Amino acid sequence: MTAQTESPQTAKTVDPGELAHELEQLSELATLVLSARDALSDDIVSRVAQALSEGITLLDRLTRNEGLMRLLQVLDTPESQHLLHGLSTALAKMSRDIAISPPAKGGLVGVAKLAMEPGTQEGLRSLSLLGKYWSDSMRELHRTGGN
Amino acid sequence: MSDFKTIDARDTFCPGPLMELISYMKTAQVGDTLELLSTDNGTASDVPEWIDKVGHEMISSEKIDDVWHLKVRKLK
Amino acid sequence: MRILVVGGGCGGTILANNLARRLANEIRSRKVRITMLSASDKHMYQPGLLYVAFGQMMPDELYRDQLSLLEPTIEFHVDPVEQFHLDQNRVTTKSGRTHEYDVMVIATGSRIVPEEVPGLVEGSETFYSEAAAVKMFKRLREFEGGRVAIVVGVPHKCPIAPVEVTFSLHDYFKTRGIRDKVHIKYHYPIGRIHTIENVAKWAKPEFDRIGIEYETLFNVKEVDVENQVVKSEEGTETEYDLLISIPPHRGMPVIERDQMGDGGWIPTDRYKLTMEGHDNVYVLGDTTNLPVSKTGSAAHFEAEVVAENISSIIKIGTPVRDYDGKVYCFIEAGHDRATYAMFNYENPPDLKAPNKSMHWFKMSYNKMYWTSVRGLL
Repeated sequence: MTAQTESPQTAKTVDPGELAHELEQLSELATLVLSARDALSDDIVSRVAQALSEGITLLDRLTRNEGLMRLLQVLDTPESQHLLHGLSTALAKMSRDIAISPPAKGGLVGVAKLAMEPGTQEGLRSLSLLGKYWSDSMRELHRTGGN
Repeated sequence: MSDFKTIDARDTFCPGPLMELISYMKTAQVGDTLELLSTDNGTASDVPEWIDKVGHEMISSEKIDDVWHLKVRKLK
Repeated sequence: MRILVVGGGCGGTILANNLARRLANEIRSRKVRITMLSASDKHMYQPGLLYVAFGQMMPDELYRDQLSLLEPTIEFHVDPVEQFHLDQNRVTTKSGRTHEYDVMVIATGSRIVPEEVPGLVEGSETFYSEAAAVKMFKRLREFEGGRVAIVVGVPHKCPIAPVEVTFSLHDYFKTRGIRDKVHIKYHYPIGRIHTIENVAKWAKPEFDRIGIEYETLFNVKEVDVENQVVKSEEGTETEYDLLISIPPHRGMPVIERDQMGDGGWIPTDRYKLTMEGHDNVYVLGDTTNLPVSKTGSAAHFEAEVVAENISSIIKIGTPVRDYDGKVYCFIEAGHDRATYAMFNYENPPDLKAPNKSMHWFKMSYNKMYWTSVRGLL
């Protein structure tokens, strides 16, 4: 017998009051479980199972989508988050500007007028740079098969 | 021409040896012999009971190395 | 390596998805191609039909688009196989196309053939197709009392269905308050009330308790529709007002046409799940001639073994495991309680007392099925 083992004679006797309290707590817990069981219906169980099941499917798709995982990695950098924020702000401003400006008349004069604006020139430059880097990435995709 | 076919229903609990025999009996021709292999001891009494009730012929029943071999002939 | 999966049911879909996951790298580098041929662009959750027959599920809940369940790397065609050319490793399809393969998996399933029992089509209600299940429910709603007989054809899909439908009938009439006007009689082909001994031992006193009469060794021979009498091969007969049948089944006609197996069931190695005489052809689920229950769960466990083996053959040149005969069956025991039976070639099914939690697990599984066929659960 080791020093840690208590003999039955020396064991602490259980206080009846404490036992009653513990039993009461246990019974409370059982009531809670039973009331939850009674409150549930086949329909509720089915709906919860469907939501969980579709949730697992979605999670599986997301985690196995390598493109999305890389995108999340890229988005983790403050620079990307700033760019994304900038892009969404620009889109919102653009849509507002378009809504309040009169419809374009068309024709070469209109295009020339627009092209004179420094903002348009900056925009075109950004787009052409975007095109250059994007086409590099597309060439890479078809060369390696996405690996 | 009558045929001979062996049905391996060893180590099966569902659908079980007699149910297997009934299935095969349906696709067999009248006069065909079927041999049922079973590791279930109940088969030795279940099969003759059914064969007798439905009116086919029990040819033989023997236990070899813990496997029952029951031969029956389709009569109708 | 061209892998051809014939059949888009439970087994075929689980297998194809499982393979596509295991062989994702090989598919991306174009070393492996998985093609599935199916007769339908829809996938049906067949166990739901029993619920449709009792008005507890609507038919549209049973279907999903097959394409939505498949991994995007699987090439899918709605174009069933018309002819197998096993000696040339190719099949021809309904549209006239030819598909060559290095490995083929046949999972074409089974179909009901009530027409093989005279009078069964006209004289009985069943729940083994969408239209039949809806018709059965309408008939049950109109039923005001009388003699209900349940008969069972052989072989049949879902061996637990005869017991489940009987408990469901009892519950349904009880809920409508007409149980005392309904006499239910259950008929079963072998000498006890269920083929699984433990299920028979449990169900018999339950039947006695709720007043269900039973007759064993009753193989349905014909139905005299006019006089409302069902007759057995064994020479007995039962009069009825409403006849519920579990119809006999066969494999697909193409299997019989190409002489690949009597009754449409393909002779299959019980451990390797390969077709006898063809090591590069695997057979799954109802399509096999194995002495294993014709249930989605058997197809599921078989599909996992076959997928693992095909994948390991590609990766290391050898299969890695055998099918052990595993089957898991939910058993709805009526009164919102359920239990289950699990068994394999070695271990007989043990049965626990039915309870509400298992019923909810089954309710949940009805929805989780879609996650399961995607190869996740």
